[in-house]
Amino acid sequence: MARIIGGIGASHAPSMEHVYDAGAEVRESDEWAPLFGPFQEVSEWLGAVKPDRLVVIYNDHMDAFFLDAYPTFALGVAESYPIADEGFGARPFPPIAGDASLGWHIARSLVADEFDITICQELEVDHGVISPLPMVDFSESDSDWKIPIVPLAVNVNLHPLPTPRRCYKLGQALRRAILSYPEDLKVVVAGTGGLSHQLTGTAFGAVRQEWDQEFMRLLAEEPETLCDYTHEQLIKLGGTESVEVVNWLAMRGALPVAARPVVEAYYAHRIMGYGLAAYDAAGSPA
Amino acid sequence: MPTTPETSELSADYLRRLADVQPSDLPPELDLFDESTARRGIRLNKAAYSLKDAHQRDLFANDEEAWMEQFGLTDGERALVRARDWIGLWRGGMSIYVMVKLSGVTNTPLPEIGRQMRESG
Repeated sequence: MARIIGGIGASHAPSMEHVYDAGAEVRESDEWAPLFGPFQEVSEWLGAVKPDRLVVIYNDHMDAFFLDAYPTFALGVAESYPIADEGFGARPFPPIAGDASLGWHIARSLVADEFDITICQELEVDHGVISPLPMVDFSESDSDWKIPIVPLAVNVNLHPLPTPRRCYKLGQALRRAILSYPEDLKVVVAGTGGLSHQLTGTAFGAVRQEWDQEFMRLLAEEPETLCDYTHEQLIKLGGTESVEVVNWLAMRGALPVAARPVVEAYYAHRIMGYGLAAYDAAGSPA
Repeated sequence: MPTTPETSELSADYLRRLADVQPSDLPPELDLFDESTARRGIRLNKAAYSLKDAHQRDLFANDEEAWMEQFGLTDGERALVRARDWIGLWRGGMSIYVMVKLSGVTNTPLPEIGRQMRESG
């Protein structure tokens, strides 16, 4: 049967793509090493625990989904996920391999658990997936991705949004879906987004370092506490776009409460509070 | 809410949850993309979303007026696009995520949009 061996929480941002694409010298510069060094640690941890699949909980930025029909939760069941053109031409990465069988199983399990997701047989993934992913899962020597993914998109753009508690429960349901999959697979669940950022209005660029670090502590030690926050509270604490942190909360729901980070890093820089955490769940009781 | 036989079915917990999905007590510098923005901005959002497509980007570059014509933008909305009035577009209901696509085709760096946003108060 499939197992969940760990989790990753990671910010996503176009800035991370620009820096990654600029090459090793920029990534390792004084300005960006505080972000990219910890990603390297997570990459090494992934290399050691060797997951067979990544389930990536993220949010689209109106690259795959638009306001004509905006899904609250959308699950990929494709064999392959092309890179979306976000308006500047797609980044030159090959499509990411999927696992349609696992995707369909998760779809059935989520629906059985009363999470009525939108099921996507075709899905282009945007920087919600591919700004952090190359840092931990891309082989430059093979020019290809290492681990097949199942993407799960959460609406954090168009209010009303699913509540933090609902997203945590989604993660718990995702856990059951993975544990009931008959194939012997090791799975890591990732949640991307946040932490604090504000992209509109006079507060543009505001970063809330204290709250971001408190969020990461609560996520590790008291994830249920975060379920009681409203979107209004999260927005006041971390900015309008910081509600993406519900993707981390969904990831956390898929892990045992006793799981703890093995890598944890935070870097407030320019207009973003960048967070990164890797949780080892292999030995934790559920 | 007035109490009627029907509304008495609605528990306090339900009413709190209903209120919580519509943040209503945010300071003016924090804003949402919600019903009011989505309804107001539908034309502008359709227009900017189209710029995912390279053909639409070419059309924008070659004939901005013809590009706008496709989406039934109002005269006011067209003026906002022509002026690269990012605050106005935002107030007109344009999502930041499609605004980024318009910033690309107009060669506007995000810090410039940010500067306009910060100075709009």
